[in-house]
Amino acid sequence: MSATDTGGRVSRFGSAVAEGWTRERFGLLGAVALVLIALAPPFQVYLFTDFLVVALFALGFNLLYGYTGLLSFGHGLFYAGGAYGIAIVLRDLGPVIADVVGAGISPLVTFVLGGVVGLVLVVLVAVPVGWLSVRLEEIYFALITLAFGMLGYSLIIQDPAGLTNGTDGVIVLLGTVDLGGFSLRIGGRRIYYAISAVTVVAATYGVWRVVNSPFGTVCKAIRESPDRAAALGIDVGHHRWMTFIVSAAVVGIAGVLRAGLASVASPGLTHWSTSAIAVIATVIGGATYFYGPIVGAFIFLYIRWAISRFPALEAYWELFFGALLIAVVLFFKQGAVGGLLLLRDRLFGDGDGGGGGGALNGGQATAATDDGAESGDDNARADRGDNS
Amino acid sequence: MTTVLKTEDLRKQFGQLTAVDDVSIEIDDDKITSIIGPNGAGKTTFYNLLTGVLEPTSGSIWLRSGDGDDLADVTDAEPHEVAQAGLSRSYQITNIFEGLTVRENVRVARISHDGSRLDFRSRATGDESVEADVEELLELTGLTDIADTPCDTLSHGEKRTVEIALALAIEPNVFLMDEPTAGMNPTEVTEIVSLIRELDEDLDATFVVTEHNMDVVTDISDRIVVLAEGSILADGAPEDVLTDERVTEAYLGSDSV
Repeated sequence: MSATDTGGRVSRFGSAVAEGWTRERFGLLGAVALVLIALAPPFQVYLFTDFLVVALFALGFNLLYGYTGLLSFGHGLFYAGGAYGIAIVLRDLGPVIADVVGAGISPLVTFVLGGVVGLVLVVLVAVPVGWLSVRLEEIYFALITLAFGMLGYSLIIQDPAGLTNGTDGVIVLLGTVDLGGFSLRIGGRRIYYAISAVTVVAATYGVWRVVNSPFGTVCKAIRESPDRAAALGIDVGHHRWMTFIVSAAVVGIAGVLRAGLASVASPGLTHWSTSAIAVIATVIGGATYFYGPIVGAFIFLYIRWAISRFPALEAYWELFFGALLIAVVLFFKQGAVGGLLLLRDRLFGDGDGGGGGGALNGGQATAATDDGAESGDDNARADRGDNS
Repeated sequence: MTTVLKTEDLRKQFGQLTAVDDVSIEIDDDKITSIIGPNGAGKTTFYNLLTGVLEPTSGSIWLRSGDGDDLADVTDAEPHEVAQAGLSRSYQITNIFEGLTVRENVRVARISHDGSRLDFRSRATGDESVEADVEELLELTGLTDIADTPCDTLSHGEKRTVEIALALAIEPNVFLMDEPTAGMNPTEVTEIVSLIRELDEDLDATFVVTEHNMDVVTDISDRIVVLAEGSILADGAPEDVLTDERVTEAYLGSDSV
């Protein structure tokens, strides 16, 4: 057996491990982790659910920011839209639904229906708001979305239609499903975590599909150069509008989950300071990466929690985030994910340059020459999925 | 010979300044036409009018769209509508999707041409006919070897070539090139000139070029149109135009009255 044969085998083995670990096994590992978290103490389960919801909020926001190049400062409007949609259905339609489907199953039916109503409401709001907003770019877009968010805030507080209960907000009571002996409290920490985890994972997969579709590819082109995209026959205004609606819908799903988690839909959800959470989480995590907003949301919530453990510091937690944000913007323009990829490339230096491949890419790169262009091409595609 | 692009008394005023002054021109499909003129002659404004970026003050623009010989009025069309109608452009200052790879750049253009822009269900890489077209175009423009390179790491000359590949990807009837050799070194200029000649022979598109490099202009043009102060100063075969006294005067900037 010659040295080249051995080399070939080792690299094929390396490639197999790499392939396995980058896809199915990481997915499986993630799923196992999600299940294990359900067994944690109730507060930790709550905190992780909180993280999942904020992550979806930021992920939806980033469809418009990182992928299409429009910085919205008013996505709290859609967060609140989802929350109020389900809250009002639960409050006003709960008894009616119980009459129709029976008291036992009605909390679940009401919850699902409320979620759908929240989502539809958000889309109905996003259609005109988006249509008006995408006429503007850059700071003007940020300002008009900020204005729409605050318009929603004052409408909810003034409550002209008598639906939103002013500054107190609408209490969310999820109720208990009772089917002869089998009972399930939807608002229970672990049950609600399970519902949130499934929803967030499914929605994240949906967003991932969108950014890797022809639609998402065009979004990225618009981010890079809107006038070039137009010169290729792309209706930039229309495409931004459609992206705005999809982005709002994703945020609306997060809003629905938020209402159940907080047990209340409150006006603060559409305040600019809530919209800013999506911006901060995305910038900290890295707007140019698909997983950036998720990592950013994780950092945001767990650092905030860690600070809250020290009562002396707690009053200053916003100050801490201010400092963190300045550090990220000045020194880690690509956010935490960009920083981690850079660190990994330094440590395992594979000369990949693009920073997409990974620590295991050394094996892949060798295998590519061995197995021909096909696998090389696959690597490149996976890289872009990580990167874009 | 067919007319593919026509303007009638096209005019653009910015306040008191007339940047394009009643220009009427017909572009034929059997020639490479160069539009030249000193700085400030109105070339870029003229291009921006043709591509719908600027709205003309008066006059009209007609473009051969689709496969027929009929000209369609595109005077009031938006940039993306002009592009869909069959007019493509490359920019003087490189304007490509810097953050994407070369292949992704071309793919965006093919998605646009294919009309699958709003498809968010399938994979961008999943449409085999689109991918085959992308590969073909990369090969045609000699970009296959750097197809997976992010564009922000390319050399200036390579970026100019991507610029051309993008414009061609939407299969235009007319291709407006705004200073294709701007900022290039002599080797790159030679390469791009031979690429333009090759493409002109291989493709149905009609090439219209603005250019400052006179060697390039004489090399590739069948017809030269000279713009000065917004209007057509001379129009004809290279040997006639370039020996025209008024043209040399305009270029030397002799405003001694």
